[in-house]
Amino acid sequence: MKKKKYNFNFILGMILLALTLIPAFVGLFWTPYNPETMDKTLKMAGISLKHIYGCDNFGRDIFSRIMSGSAITVAIALGTVAFGSIIGTIIGALTGYFGGILDEALMRINDVALAFPSLLLALVMVSLLGSGKYQVMLALGIAFIPSYARIVRSEYIRIKNLDYVKSAKLAGAGEFRIMFVHILPNAKTVILSSLMIGFNNAVLAEAGLSFLGIGVQPPDASLGRMLSEAQSHLFTNPGYALFTGCTIVAIILGFSLLSKEVK
Amino acid sequence: MKYVWKKILSCIITLFIVSLLVFVAFAIIPGDPALSKLGTNATEASLAAMRQQMGLDKPIWERYLNWLWGAIRGDFGTSYSYSMSVASMILDKLPITLTLMIFSMCIMILIGVPLGVYASYKEGTAIDRVIQIINQINMAVPPFFSGILITLLFGVTLKFFTPGGFVSISKNPVGFFTYMFYPALAVALPKSAMILNLLYSSLNGEKKKDYVRTAYSRGNTSNAVFFGHMLKNASIPTITFLGMALADMIAGSIIIEQVFGIPGLGRILLTSIQNRDYPVVVAIIMLIAVIVIGVNFLVDVLYKLVDPRVGN
Amino acid sequence: MKLLHVEDLNIEFHDHLIPETVVFDFDLDMDEGEIVGLVGESGSGKSMSALAIAGLLSRHDMRKKGSIVFEGKEILNCPRGELRSLQGDEICMVFQEPLTSLNPVKKIGWQVEEALKIHTRLTAEERKKRAIKALEEVELENPERVYDSYPHELSGGMRQRVMIAAAMIGNPKLLIADEPTTALDVTVQSQIVELLKKINREKKTAILFISHDLSLVSQLCQRVLVMQHGYVVESGTAEQIFKSPKEEYTRRLIAAIPTCKELDEDIPVGECIAKVENVNVSFTKRNGRRTEPIHVLKNVSFTIHQSEIVGLVGESGCGKSTLAKTLIGLLHPDSGTVYLEDKNPQMIFQDPYGSLNPSKTVQFIMEEPLKNLTKMTKKERNALSLEMIEKVGLNEAYLSRFPSELSGGQRQRVCIAASLMLHPKLIIADEPVSALDVTIQAEVLKLMTDLHRELGLSFLFISHDLRVVHQMCDRILVMKEGQIVEEGNREQIYQNPKHPYTKELLMSAGLL
Repeated sequence: MKKKKYNFNFILGMILLALTLIPAFVGLFWTPYNPETMDKTLKMAGISLKHIYGCDNFGRDIFSRIMSGSAITVAIALGTVAFGSIIGTIIGALTGYFGGILDEALMRINDVALAFPSLLLALVMVSLLGSGKYQVMLALGIAFIPSYARIVRSEYIRIKNLDYVKSAKLAGAGEFRIMFVHILPNAKTVILSSLMIGFNNAVLAEAGLSFLGIGVQPPDASLGRMLSEAQSHLFTNPGYALFTGCTIVAIILGFSLLSKEVK
Repeated sequence: MKYVWKKILSCIITLFIVSLLVFVAFAIIPGDPALSKLGTNATEASLAAMRQQMGLDKPIWERYLNWLWGAIRGDFGTSYSYSMSVASMILDKLPITLTLMIFSMCIMILIGVPLGVYASYKEGTAIDRVIQIINQINMAVPPFFSGILITLLFGVTLKFFTPGGFVSISKNPVGFFTYMFYPALAVALPKSAMILNLLYSSLNGEKKKDYVRTAYSRGNTSNAVFFGHMLKNASIPTITFLGMALADMIAGSIIIEQVFGIPGLGRILLTSIQNRDYPVVVAIIMLIAVIVIGVNFLVDVLYKLVDPRVGN
Repeated sequence: MKLLHVEDLNIEFHDHLIPETVVFDFDLDMDEGEIVGLVGESGSGKSMSALAIAGLLSRHDMRKKGSIVFEGKEILNCPRGELRSLQGDEICMVFQEPLTSLNPVKKIGWQVEEALKIHTRLTAEERKKRAIKALEEVELENPERVYDSYPHELSGGMRQRVMIAAAMIGNPKLLIADEPTTALDVTVQSQIVELLKKINREKKTAILFISHDLSLVSQLCQRVLVMQHGYVVESGTAEQIFKSPKEEYTRRLIAAIPTCKELDEDIPVGECIAKVENVNVSFTKRNGRRTEPIHVLKNVSFTIHQSEIVGLVGESGCGKSTLAKTLIGLLHPDSGTVYLEDKNPQMIFQDPYGSLNPSKTVQFIMEEPLKNLTKMTKKERNALSLEMIEKVGLNEAYLSRFPSELSGGQRQRVCIAASLMLHPKLIIADEPVSALDVTIQAEVLKLMTDLHRELGLSFLFISHDLRVVHQMCDRILVMKEGQIVEEGNREQIYQNPKHPYTKELLMSAGLL
């Protein structure tokens, strides 16, 4: 019974991710049509065999745009997660393991940062750093550091008081060996599942920023920016918004189904 | 009572740190506000005069203290782009955004809490599984997309409201509140999924605890155990979540205001960011900080009321 | 008519593909006012049987067969509504962990009265009166204040008294006590046992007492059932079971009780290898803005010699573990000196599940000190770990396993093997067997005495169990509130204790 349920979540998650991430990956190198080429004859063209998602108000192929747009969204999310999690893990490990005044001070700042929604923090960062895909990556990465740091820190605090860490100390292991050889592998599951949740939050935040027009700038088109374009033609061409939005939902749903199984 | 005072003190300290960080961050951004205000062909003399007028010639700590003293009295300076008082600009729009937030908070609780309790009560049944599947999908829909879907469904197809037809409360109160319901729903839906999920899993966690077995051993009915014993315990993590949810709702409101064309705080924040109108940005961030920290304070106090173990 | 008649009770789990039976053909008869003990190691099915009698096994993936007749009424598989009228009124239960068994967000009074609220129509005032009386009867001081407290504000012993008061408030005919003293300190344990005796005497309540602790059962029960792997292997009067056990397993259980038998031979004691002089340790406790020091160790001095097993006894919170940590250098004393001959002293911890890193293999864990502290080659390390794992009675196959693949006893053996890797002279063992079942406990203790004899190892043996200490140790230190109140060799401490606290400890353990 339990086994079956595991497979259902896992398979559905994998299918959703395959349907979204494979086109995104392919979209880095090749799309059926140039996502930026406008064709007046195809303006608002409906769904056809040639244009499976139809065309937008400029006659651009929506499927091609979604392919390259999700590539940008996923790339930014990955960059964000990598940046935020590496720095967050290091800060969390150091403060959690050593404690002391540095820990107190950093956690105070962390509390302040965590009181703000990460999107708002990213907004502030973007207004400091400017718009554009690299700025968004950096802004979101910085905005996500506090939450990673807190998760890793509490794992380290929990584990450092366990007897096997004391045993490792008695076995002569140095502080860094204890932190990264003895403790880190045991914090792995928690870190991994927070990475997946973090990835989802990054997709959401990037899409949000770009939707507001202060994220990715033209000619780059991420899913969020496309959704805000599509919104202005909601009456005439609802397909554009629906396909783009559903791609975002599929990515997030796929990852959250998978992250359920990681736990 | 001592607990409350302690919390108030720590709130004030946190606010102070926030104000310092935010002010310094925006004060050291490269770029000259005087230059952007007067344009590139301004003379050096007029620039210097402008800097003096804007108070930019003073050292940063003095500017901060001046600003802080003003902020405490409700004066956040003058907008760079509109030459009007920041406070009046914000006060104008604040009620709109607050309405949106309060609306969505209520909708979130009204949807999430009963369904979470009900699903856990019916754990393992078909209805529980249906709720879980819908909830999983709901959680994955970003608020701006749920806003678009709501516009499509209720605005375009069913014609319950006119998309983009915002009216102010002074002109048409009924119209205002009817219109605000839809954006509030869009903000609340994803959050209600999270609160449902949290309540569901903490209730299911409580079911395995020893005190539940004790309650059964005294002859309680399963309803009495569920509602009399478990619910209060399970609500503890949910209360913590409310504080965080509110912070996220502010972010959600900023975005959703764009989807529904609502002239609230979100819109001024965005235009100010794009125009690099920093006094306005700083003031709005501080306002959000006050709201978030204030609500978290209320959550802490509520927490203390529910959980006797806190604060002793 | 019997109060309780259980016949052919079988309990099966159906949550896996193959149903798993955890209790086979369980039979039990109890008369009114009788105390029956149910003894067995973990996984023997004793708690399952007790929960079935209390009507608390109602998971949907569980099947129960047989019959349970309480006062002439069949209660197994009867509708929950009928069962409810008995629960909390005629049949009551007390559990092992009093902290988690009480609802953390409800006041004590509310929880004690709950059974009355369900089963009687008393007014709030009458209920309160009864609750206060019930709290008085379990010998709680200041019952009015306890009535208005929350569970976290009470000590472990007080909480268990509250649990008993809540169970006894409806004057039940049958009280089921599932390991009610296991989570408590020795002196508190004996108080709770005395309380149960008094309740049985004064109220004629029948008690089904479930425990893994045979010596406790022998103090309390008139009749005893011994369970193993889901079967009742032997039953009879307490005297029959203890004086002339018939079954092999019962004999093994009784033999595993650490008795006060002498070691076969005394090994000559060598020179001093550890010396602690006037050690003081304190922690600072933040109390609002003020910080106040808490003195955990006060002027502690003792020595340990080569080939000596020194016992350190005391109740939880007395500073035993702090002393161990100070001795091995995990804590630094405020004042005083600690001298150790071993450069890298080793320690064995209480909880075998927490002391082995779950993400590393046994071999990695064992070779860790060699990697950090010696220049041995990989080959030498492998040879040494093989030698040591065999020394503790395991074999090569265990080296590649992860801790999660080992049983509690095997884990503790691995911990001992790991501590031997650097050839230490002294090993500090902090409650090394208290998390283990009695028969496993006996095996691990035997391993330790063998190593002591074979290698001339010294141990500082920290324990709350005076029987184990008597069996293992040559010299004993008694600790109370951070001070060593008495020190002496085994005969002195056990035959002729001087300090009143030592006497109290010995009395609680039934040794004086």
